[in-house]
Amino acid sequence: MKKTLTALLALTASPALAEGTVNVLTWEGYADASFITQFEEESGCKVTATYVGSNDDFAPKLLGGGGVYDLIAPSIDTTALMIDLGLVEPLDTAAITGWGDIYQKFRDLPGLQRDGVHYGMPYSWGAIAFMYRNDVFTTPPTSIADLWNPDLAGKVSLWDDKSAIYVAARLNGDSDIYNLTDEQIEAAKAKLIEQKPLVRKYWATAGELVDLYKAGEVVISNTWAGYQSSLLAAEGIEVTEFIPTEGAEGWLDAWMVVKDTPNRECAYKFLNMQLSALGQCGVANVNGYSAANPVAAKACMSPEQFTALHQDDPDYLDSLMIWTALGERFEAYTNAWNAVKAQ
Amino acid sequence: MSGPRSLSTVLILGIPILWVVVFMLLPYGIIVTYSFWVKAYPTFKPAFQFGNYLTLVTDPQYVQVLLRTLKISALVSVLSLLLAYPFAWWLVFRCHNQSLKTWAYMAVIAPLWVSYLLRAYIWKTILGTEGILNSFLMSTGIISEPSSLFLYNQFAMVVTLTYIFIPFMVMPIYTALERIPANLSEASSDLGMAPWQTFLKVTLPLSTPGIAAGFTLTFCLSFGDFIAPFLVGGPDGNLIASVIQSQFGSALNWPLGSALSIVMLVIVLAIVSLSDRIEARANTGAH
Repeated sequence: MKKTLTALLALTASPALAEGTVNVLTWEGYADASFITQFEEESGCKVTATYVGSNDDFAPKLLGGGGVYDLIAPSIDTTALMIDLGLVEPLDTAAITGWGDIYQKFRDLPGLQRDGVHYGMPYSWGAIAFMYRNDVFTTPPTSIADLWNPDLAGKVSLWDDKSAIYVAARLNGDSDIYNLTDEQIEAAKAKLIEQKPLVRKYWATAGELVDLYKAGEVVISNTWAGYQSSLLAAEGIEVTEFIPTEGAEGWLDAWMVVKDTPNRECAYKFLNMQLSALGQCGVANVNGYSAANPVAAKACMSPEQFTALHQDDPDYLDSLMIWTALGERFEAYTNAWNAVKAQ
Repeated sequence: MSGPRSLSTVLILGIPILWVVVFMLLPYGIIVTYSFWVKAYPTFKPAFQFGNYLTLVTDPQYVQVLLRTLKISALVSVLSLLLAYPFAWWLVFRCHNQSLKTWAYMAVIAPLWVSYLLRAYIWKTILGTEGILNSFLMSTGIISEPSSLFLYNQFAMVVTLTYIFIPFMVMPIYTALERIPANLSEASSDLGMAPWQTFLKVTLPLSTPGIAAGFTLTFCLSFGDFIAPFLVGGPDGNLIASVIQSQFGSALNWPLGSALSIVMLVIVLAIVSLSDRIEARANTGAH
């Protein structure tokens, strides 16, 4: 439905091609009006955004008769799959101003390149933190085990994503979460099934998690650090994010150019804008995520924000378990998560 | 000149044939083909094997979800029937005010014109912990603490699906009841039958085709639903359509998703043919 709509929009928009368009498949906030409007006016490129709820949405949307999108922004665990599927094309890094300003360790991530050729432009990063309602806890939770606390029955939520396996595995003491054996996945599955009676709802989108907290249905969950908590703060609901003692996953989102895009010119204008102060502070202000380009970030952030988003401390990302492509093991993880939900 | 005649023949035969080919044989053919393929990173590759069907039987998660979906669909159909039948019966036999009749009938049908999503969302606000139902129960003193028992579970799914699909039960039953000649029940009471006997021996059997049609519609619609589990279902609310969605989506396993779709199609076809048989028997019995 959404696809036909976008296709229709693309059709009706084509006579105005002289002006240019760019169709992006991305996360909520990454094409927010607060900074996209300025880009549209300056570049003459109309931005049409479609949003995903999970990294698992990119491949099906592009495989099921793609051709509609010019740019996508998958996370570091999904970028390799996009390259393997032949859905994206090599980046012309020379056409991207500020490419050299991106944190070196991000540019060099193996998931973003193939045979030394770059396919992904790092954009933003952060942690999959945990979060709780301040008014419910006298002792602040510090561990993943708090999401297994029977006292919180019916008040717990977890992201409806294969990352639930990562969470349960860490609770089981299996810290090599991206290389779990079949037995360890089985143990994580059992742990998640044990948790089910406590779960109110598995959240699927950022908006849904916010609604669950707002409606008083949920008091503790995992979250995209910086994002839902600020949406809740705006609603007057006080929540606190925390990195549990078992550690948290880290993510990095990168822009990729869809193979044979007809809108390459606007696509590169868009990439340049996203890596500049406008795009880097745009996403930092809207989503509360950290920026991949510290030079641009320094230019537009207050010193407080710069420090709060760990921009002067990229080693912080090393303390997080950065998402990795699961490759052949992908199926084992998703299958286990589906089995949990089937119970 | 045979020109115009052959053109009209082509149109008369061609349109339905084209319809069947384009809208039925082609898509189902593709799904059937996929169901024999195998998953191979990063996507899947052509093959001819029954591994996907075998997985559906051997991995308990699929049978489990299938049984749950059958249970939810059956509950929705039964609940719809229990609510819809007395209502339709009252409309046809007891409501003599024509404008009230039209108004009451429209009250059931009108929600069909409202977006499905909106109707499902409404139930979220009614059933929630801080929702309308809880506020009402607390203000009347029936409960002192808000209950979380109404939303995010199978109960909420049954209620929501019943609300959404009940027009499909009311309409065929209403039509079936309206077709019953009034003189039949008069004759029945002339022969000394009590009203309840007349109902059991005349009205109910004659309305069986309507019940069968309504049951089939509500059952099959619920059976294929994936919005209700997403919006009001809880952790134990996964239905078969959601599983198919995740196989085509996140799991990127179209072959398994296709096999699951074929199993679902077979079940729906079995129910439709069973319902046809019941209707046919009821119709011949009436003669």
